[in-house]
Amino acid sequence: MTPPPLEQSLITFDNVSRFYGEVLGVNRVTLSIPPGITSLVGPNGSGKTTLMNLMTALVRPTRGSIRILGITPHQPEKLFALLGYSTQFDAFPKGLTGFQFIYSFLRLFGKPHLECERLASQAIERVNLAEAAHRKIAGYSKGMRQRIKLAQAIAHDPRVLVLDEPLNGLDPLVRAETIAMFRELANQGRHVIVSSHILHEVDMISDQVILLSNGYVVAEGKISGVRSEIRDQPMQVLIRCNRPSALAAKVFDEDSVVEARLHSDGGGLLIKTRDADKFYRLLNHIALNGIEIETVAPADDNVNSVYEYLIGEEPQK
Amino acid sequence: MNWQLWLAQIRAVVRLEMRKTFLSRRGLWVYLLAAAPVLLFFGRTVDVMRSREWFDTSVAPHAVSRAALESIQPGANLEDVEARLGEPYSRRVFQSRRHSQTWLSYTDGSNTYTFRFSDGTLEGVSTRDRANFQDDALIYATFFQFFYLRLLIFFGCVGIFVNLFRGEMMNKSLHFYLLAPVRREVLVAGKFVAGLIAASVIFCTSTALQLWMFSIPFHATIESLHAANYIGVTALACLGYGSVFLAAGLIAVNPLLPAAIVLLWEAANLFLPSALKKISIIFYLQSLCPVLAPPEKDMNPLLALLVNSAEPTPAALAILGLLAVTALVLTWSAFRARKLEINYSSD
Repeated sequence: MTPPPLEQSLITFDNVSRFYGEVLGVNRVTLSIPPGITSLVGPNGSGKTTLMNLMTALVRPTRGSIRILGITPHQPEKLFALLGYSTQFDAFPKGLTGFQFIYSFLRLFGKPHLECERLASQAIERVNLAEAAHRKIAGYSKGMRQRIKLAQAIAHDPRVLVLDEPLNGLDPLVRAETIAMFRELANQGRHVIVSSHILHEVDMISDQVILLSNGYVVAEGKISGVRSEIRDQPMQVLIRCNRPSALAAKVFDEDSVVEARLHSDGGGLLIKTRDADKFYRLLNHIALNGIEIETVAPADDNVNSVYEYLIGEEPQK
Repeated sequence: MNWQLWLAQIRAVVRLEMRKTFLSRRGLWVYLLAAAPVLLFFGRTVDVMRSREWFDTSVAPHAVSRAALESIQPGANLEDVEARLGEPYSRRVFQSRRHSQTWLSYTDGSNTYTFRFSDGTLEGVSTRDRANFQDDALIYATFFQFFYLRLLIFFGCVGIFVNLFRGEMMNKSLHFYLLAPVRREVLVAGKFVAGLIAASVIFCTSTALQLWMFSIPFHATIESLHAANYIGVTALACLGYGSVFLAAGLIAVNPLLPAAIVLLWEAANLFLPSALKKISIIFYLQSLCPVLAPPEKDMNPLLALLVNSAEPTPAALAILGLLAVTALVLTWSAFRARKLEINYSSD
């Protein structure tokens, strides 16, 4: 089987801007999102939801163009056959049970009754909501409403999932199950685009991140790649070894090392260096000269640090 | 063109909307609008039946010959009239400082004659045929055209059709539809059909019940009532006004504003040039009404203008014209729906 053309496996934004009157939504966004889990990270008002709404034609770009696997968002009959969106809106058509909500949504696809019933049941089971399926959504807890929205997004087995804060309101167990489901879907070659404020979760689940601030994309790509691009912040490396003081003395010979801080337990140190590659080569050399190095790990090669360096504030929890 | 898919999607939209349009609390007042004239005609029927019974038992036995009643001429003296016709079955007197007004009512068994005297001198006679169905049919026609079409169905359609889009924006649930693989044009069609079914069921039922209530005292037949015509005009009114208010729900944050503009436009229709008249719903509906109320001699000129179409259009043309206006408005609505965005915070 021949693989699809590259354009048909990517979500692309080409110089996209969106203004709400004089208020900036997003500006000059150019992105190319491959399959896998992509996290949109940024403080409130940074443009995460606008970016998702642009992808799904809930809002239109003021300028630029968007393509989802080769389809423009203004072909809903094609787009939503392969895209599911769990929005931030916590409102549902009135008077429906969870099952009726998913079933009615599937009927809009023009699918026959039995198939809709089957798909609705499958989706509800997948988000572990089978017991509450025939209860009115109005009586659901926040976590259940979040799950029923997720069920709606996955019910038609889409190739692209867009999820706005999908883990909000979920308890730890369901949160873990949901993350596992995202991973499973990503492993099947689908796009899972998630916005989140909770950085350690983003770190754990993302294949790539898109950092947004004030409507601009400030960084995108794999977290390690993004971190290495931030040259004005020295890389932090955590080292556990038998002689940390000796190691500190040796590494200070290197110009790129700007700081070495000993751990209070005397079993390791934190190094800050402007050239990580050069430092790792030096470390190999040192290891051959009598200092036993137990572990070496980057200390700020994560979303939290990247976020702090680029955006400069802790995201709102 | 995937008509089969679109029809299935329209059916799915209609199924979802029916529950909302028929059972929504926000639409309760539409039922009240539709029920009000039924209650009005029910009250009238009860009143007519009771007064007829009273007339038959208390008044009819004192009937005076028609020749005697019609021989009385204006200028006659009160005492002379009473001497010639005998005791009236009803006498009303109004006494002011300078003048006295007296009304004497007689019957010939079927018609009532009311003589009005000023300071003892006859000034006028009004006659009413108590069993004249034509007079009452004219009253119903006036009510239907002036109140029912122009106000009750009009505002009923505001309540039903504006909410199809605007109501969902207020509930923040419209995105549910926009995230399904449904063309926006199909969504507009589905919502319009749902609104049309709801409005037609509610108002056509009301029309049928009004006519039934109206017919009871006269034992009138369906044909003589023009029931099919009235119900047809009701359905067409829902169609025409429905399309206008669906479009209004798509563009206006406050639906009362477009409703007021359309109301004014429809009211001003009578005074518009011929070409502009045709861009209205009431123009076609009036032409289709089965009983055109001719202006009576003593009818208020404004009322006479309102209940009569100055340029009645042949029925076929009127229906085609109405369908054309509806199609035009729906096409425009579909165009607007394609550009529709979800921005609940500013809605």
